[in-house]
Amino acid sequence: MNADEWLQTLAAELHQRRVAPDAARHVVVEAATHLREDGRDPWLVLGPPREYAAAIAESLGPAPRPRPGPVRLHAEGITKRYGRRTVLRDASLTVRAGQIAAVVGANGCGKSTFLRVCAGLVSPDAGEVTVTGRLGYCPQQGGTADFLLPDEHFVLVGAGRGVARGPARRAGRAAARRLGWEADGDVLARHLSGGTRQKLNLTMSTLSEPDVLLLDEPYQGFDQGTYVNFWEQLTRLRDEGKAIVVVTHLLNQLDRVDLVLDLTPATQGGRA
Amino acid sequence: MNRLVTVAEMTARELLRRRGVLLLLLLMPLTFWLIRRDAYVGQSVRSLLLGISWAVSTAALFATSAARELEPRLRLAGYRPHHLYLGRMLGLWAAGLAISVPFFLLTVLDAPELRHGGVAVAMLCCVGVAAPFGMLIGVLLPRELEGTLLLLTVVAVQMLIDPAGTGAKLTPFWSSREIATWAVDHTDDGYLTRGTLHGLVFTALLVATVAAVASVRLRRRRHLRHLPIG
Repeated sequence: MNADEWLQTLAAELHQRRVAPDAARHVVVEAATHLREDGRDPWLVLGPPREYAAAIAESLGPAPRPRPGPVRLHAEGITKRYGRRTVLRDASLTVRAGQIAAVVGANGCGKSTFLRVCAGLVSPDAGEVTVTGRLGYCPQQGGTADFLLPDEHFVLVGAGRGVARGPARRAGRAAARRLGWEADGDVLARHLSGGTRQKLNLTMSTLSEPDVLLLDEPYQGFDQGTYVNFWEQLTRLRDEGKAIVVVTHLLNQLDRVDLVLDLTPATQGGRA
Repeated sequence: MNRLVTVAEMTARELLRRRGVLLLLLLMPLTFWLIRRDAYVGQSVRSLLLGISWAVSTAALFATSAARELEPRLRLAGYRPHHLYLGRMLGLWAAGLAISVPFFLLTVLDAPELRHGGVAVAMLCCVGVAAPFGMLIGVLLPRELEGTLLLLTVVAVQMLIDPAGTGAKLTPFWSSREIATWAVDHTDDGYLTRGTLHGLVFTALLVATVAAVASVRLRRRRHLRHLPIG
């Protein structure tokens, strides 16, 4: 890796870590000057760009987040029964542009059902949902076609919005790359590993540039690096003004979100 | 139009990549043809047509079941229900016609005494009816095994029922049998007219039913209100 490539990687890493653009530019210029004066391999002088960027980001802190915008998703009084069993009782959630909401709760407490109600895939017994703007949905599993290539998935989703094939393919590959996946291979979806298939699933949901993004535990099968990329991508989408609802049972990520809806029934200590 | 064509293309691509299924789809009508070939050719033609109907219906059933999870998200991605079911149907019709061509050539080469125009019309009726018929079973029955068993029952009834009886006219593939009689036995044109009419009516009814069921299943739910930005 020469100095230019090292600096480009550094700039990308700083951007991913939400370092303010002015500060990031300043860091890159300083590093460039230092490397030019030193003349040695940048890895020997400053180390791996990722680690250097991480150290800088930690010392500077992230750029101040834009204030949440107008309401994009408003779900009120959602109740859903399957036979005699009430899965959801009077669940409500309001998410604004530029916010991430986590839906948490014990197994079987209706997290996925709540998301499917919000996506309009299931009718509730009571309650209403208002969505402002375009809606994107990533199911927990399924939602891809076994015998199609990733590129064909992108074309299929793109055509829904009237996007031509070339741009749809490019947009899909770019979105996949942000998850650390090169999606240009000739591998059918059924031959992808579970984690990669889930990346395809997630990429498809962001392709139509939704204003409201509903994600049902989309990270199953992700390795550690992809998992980090996933949350970084969510943060980036939030900063772009998207409203995101993510079903999760990983409570250690709750410091990354703005809102939490706990669907655990009150008798089990929930706070929905 | 682009959305319709894209769904049709992807359906055909998916089907053509299932090589094992494709081989069985071709093998089935061929077996049906060969098994009766040493006897009266009319039985071979009727069996062949039934084999094509069964093969295309099964392909349609499996394609519909496979798309069950994908379609709701495509709906959210901007497709309307008619893009999805009509696009899929177009893809299946195209694949069905592609499957039929070698069998049509087989009848031309192996049984030159037939009215081959009639054989072609009968095959068109088979494909025309079979695609929406398989799709209808696919949208009504969520599990492939249940759908396959129902399809098997219908084809068995079709094979065993007296074609001259009133009940036979209610079976989906009666049209091809009637037209085959015209093509094989050189009967009067009434057979061809009745058969073609039956095929057209059944295709139209099945397409309308698939449209109704798919539109309900993929409808915009009342609880969800969409507002534009700004």
